[in-house]
Amino acid sequence: MRPIVGITSYVEGARWGVWEGVAALVPYAYVRVVSDAGGRAVVLPPDGGGIEVIDVLDALVLAGGPDIDPRRYGAPPHPRTKNRGERDGGEAALVAAALHADLPILGVCRGMQLLAVAYGGTLHQHVPDLIGHEKHRPGPGVYGSHGVRFAPGSRLAAIMGEEDEVNSHHHQAVADPGALVATGWADDGVIEAVEDPNRQFVVGVQWHPEEAGDLRPFAALVRAGLTGSTERAGMAPERDIHPMSG
Amino acid sequence: MSRPVIGLTTYAEEARFGLQDTFAAVLPFSYVQAVHTSGGRAVLIAPDEPDDDVLDGLDGIMFTGGSDVDPALYGEQPHPTTKVKPERDAAEIVLLRAALAADLPILGICRGMQLMVVAYGGRLHQHLPDVLGHHNHRPISGPKFGEHAVRLRPGSHSHDVLGDLVLVNSFHHQGIADPGRLTPVGWCPDDNLIEVVEDSSHTFAVGVQWHPEDTKDFRLFAALVSAARQRRSGTAERAGAGRAPR
Repeated sequence: MRPIVGITSYVEGARWGVWEGVAALVPYAYVRVVSDAGGRAVVLPPDGGGIEVIDVLDALVLAGGPDIDPRRYGAPPHPRTKNRGERDGGEAALVAAALHADLPILGVCRGMQLLAVAYGGTLHQHVPDLIGHEKHRPGPGVYGSHGVRFAPGSRLAAIMGEEDEVNSHHHQAVADPGALVATGWADDGVIEAVEDPNRQFVVGVQWHPEEAGDLRPFAALVRAGLTGSTERAGMAPERDIHPMSG
Repeated sequence: MSRPVIGLTTYAEEARFGLQDTFAAVLPFSYVQAVHTSGGRAVLIAPDEPDDDVLDGLDGIMFTGGSDVDPALYGEQPHPTTKVKPERDAAEIVLLRAALAADLPILGICRGMQLMVVAYGGRLHQHLPDVLGHHNHRPISGPKFGEHAVRLRPGSHSHDVLGDLVLVNSFHHQGIADPGRLTPVGWCPDDNLIEVVEDSSHTFAVGVQWHPEDTKDFRLFAALVSAARQRRSGTAERAGAGRAPR
């Protein structure tokens, strides 16, 4: 029985095969890395209706996507900020519920920024304004690459080592991680990783390990989900009596 | 009251959205809206290494539209117009058989209905214009969807939901040649093509050839969600105290 890992979804106008229209979707790379790391991915379309889906999850991946509405951290929108409101509310509710349930969470890019905002932090709305270069997103759809160093003793350092080279495709970044702790920085000082040291596994990364096929963060998430699911199974016998169990 | 969780199978295709062009797990958002409007919580089940463990947390499952079912699965050579996604077939057949074994409420739509037929030992017409001599089920010009009536057999589960006659949209080039061990309960009166199948020995196992998610008629989704809700409350009662909080 693999841990069930929810992945939040994009909602976009899309074209695929002979089909087109508004779709719920995620790049398959997310599904593949979760699967390769030993989890079973389910994709969670945004939904304002409630958080019962938390009951079926063992871990949560907050996927990348558009900018978060800056009103969620009390800032007016920058001219370059592009928000797609339909995701923010449902995902914020999911994060709150996942934290309440002590579910392991991995935030990727937008997902890390969502974690920071959920923990009371704020974002830089356009990184080039701050650092004067475009290395974090050389162009639309083009990944940059840069070094990251990780805080010794942190969860990120345990997963990634003390430093590594990562891919990069973002124009916003965490300004203030709120109650999270920054544990990874780019060469130029941009915050690249955050975590909650008081939780089993609440980690955010600004880059895209799924696109790089880097299983390490996902393997750590799935491992945390497995531990949690065993503990939760002890407290929650209804899973064992479900007709599909075993 | 918490909503039943409904799994929806997804396409796995090269998709273009925003500035991206990437292999994606993708599903028209209309399916998601149909489930949410009908009181369920949609989660998307991307094709994965064949394993049914994901069913554990679901209260119902929907097999959605998409590519043709591989004719090898019903012992035939492919027609020149037949386009298949064998990975999707393999993963979904496993889920379908396990869902049937667990008596999980099931709704098949278009390809999903055809997959049910194949799983029940039936066969498909691989290109309806060859058999019927017309393109009414998937127009070759004009609006995307064709439109025709479907007559339901009194006494069937589908008749309880839809009544004697329903006007439907239509976008398929394959159709049921032999429903296998499923019971045909709805037909297009113009050409007698089977449009609805069900297995009355199950709580809810219904397949329809058209696309109710692209209409305003959500009665089939309401029926699926209702069956899933009953199953959920039954499961909760057997567990004694509902789903234990995480």
